[in-house]
Amino acid sequence: MAGRGETVKEENAEAEAIITRIEHKSRKIESLLKQGRPVEALKTVLEGSPPKTRDERCKSANWILVHRALMAIKDVDALFSALDPEYYDILMKYLYRGLSTGDRPTCDQCLRIHEKLTEKAGMGCILRSLADTVNTV
Amino acid sequence: MAAVEVHQFAQCITCHAWSADRSMIALCPNNNEVHIYRLSQDKWEKVHVLQKHDQIVCGIDWSARSNRIVTASHDRNSYVWNQEGSEWVPTLVILRLNRAALCVQWSPKENKFAVGSGAKTVCICYYEQDNNWWVSKLIRKRHDSSVTSVAWHPNNILLATTSTDGKCRVFSTFIKGVDTRDSKAGSVSDSKFGEQIVQLDLSFSWAFGVKWSPSGNTLAYVGHNSMIYFVDDVGPSPLAQNVAFRDLPLRDVLFVSEKMVIGVGFDCNPMVFAADERGIWSFIRFLGERKSTLSGSRYSSQFSEAFGKFYGQSKSGASNDGIEPSRSRGGIHENCISCIMSLTESGSSRKTRFSTSGLDGKVVVWDLENQEDLSGYL
Repeated sequence: MAGRGETVKEENAEAEAIITRIEHKSRKIESLLKQGRPVEALKTVLEGSPPKTRDERCKSANWILVHRALMAIKDVDALFSALDPEYYDILMKYLYRGLSTGDRPTCDQCLRIHEKLTEKAGMGCILRSLADTVNTV
Repeated sequence: MAAVEVHQFAQCITCHAWSADRSMIALCPNNNEVHIYRLSQDKWEKVHVLQKHDQIVCGIDWSARSNRIVTASHDRNSYVWNQEGSEWVPTLVILRLNRAALCVQWSPKENKFAVGSGAKTVCICYYEQDNNWWVSKLIRKRHDSSVTSVAWHPNNILLATTSTDGKCRVFSTFIKGVDTRDSKAGSVSDSKFGEQIVQLDLSFSWAFGVKWSPSGNTLAYVGHNSMIYFVDDVGPSPLAQNVAFRDLPLRDVLFVSEKMVIGVGFDCNPMVFAADERGIWSFIRFLGERKSTLSGSRYSSQFSEAFGKFYGQSKSGASNDGIEPSRSRGGIHENCISCIMSLTESGSSRKTRFSTSGLDGKVVVWDLENQEDLSGYL
């Protein structure tokens, strides 16, 4: 049992480290949003997203930042001319998280982006976000 | 045109296999029977119906040299069919399973066959001369879920499996008295029966359709997350490549050369993957032409209606006139392709022909001969 206690402790320490990183990132994102660069902000927040951890606090903390950046995006076409394909899969996962909130303005925004993203990244991108039950956001 | 023949044999085909000279095809029309058709005067004629299974037959393999058919079914049994005169005589193989058999393949030397099952096991079956009986030896424990596909390495010892736990595994199937220790095969032939050589954790969703390249140097399999995986140096330190593609997931794959793989699945149109000079695999193109090109921003697929509803809500009041009703995607297959078989006769150096069958009941023969952009990979 001691071994199991150790792993829990380790996981907690890891989670703390991730939270600290997210807090640090949050300041950067706020300043990017103030400068009117929501696409840069979205990229930054997607880059360090913590799918590998199972810790819900980390996931929620990062989602709050993703949500802020997503809602700040006005021009979806401009978003996709600036966003590289490597971000498509992780963005799709966050769009489904947004849709699952049931919040009207969030869902509207997520659907707007979802339509463009599906056009860009195809059905495969949706399949990857739905089929992956391990690396969730 | 890459598709050279299209045959509508049934409403739905679960799997098919060809005789050695490609003059006969065995297929299961989604029930407990296996139908054998023979080509006579440019027409396919039903010549035999193999009736012995109680439930859907989901695996057929026809051995080229010994001319035997092995079938696997949801009724948990396999039969080996021998042609005696004009009759096909079945021999029951008791697999000792408590769940459905899902897939079957003869080994390259045709002295063994492997059956993947829903009981999280793989059966390796071999013929015991003394008892005149097919014996089933089980590889237990390793699989955490149903085994969806099995593939023999050309060395007749290694077997690759995919399963719905997302893993691809490679086992040794060395059986004393059936296989001989071969000094050329090196360390591989020293391993015991059922020993796991490697487990590949590349996919996080169901894995299907595993195949070895003709030399046995590369392994390919697919995940239900629209990914295809290529693995070189299968052993203690494998080199893996994950290729994501933009369309619906694949169900089965086939190597047509060391550098080219055809993938078939839910997109109803075979996809071509190839490796460049550096060995980097990527999606090249669809093999069948698409009659209906994507009209504007709309997805002209069976999903368009659903997508229309999905997006319609976000644009309240927006007109939905751009949405077309459900229809086929304009390809040759109209439903998921579930099976792909090579049509190269043994001894022939050109591996350009293969056949596909699917849930639309068609068997389509494809030829890569006149596909100039692909000839460099053959």
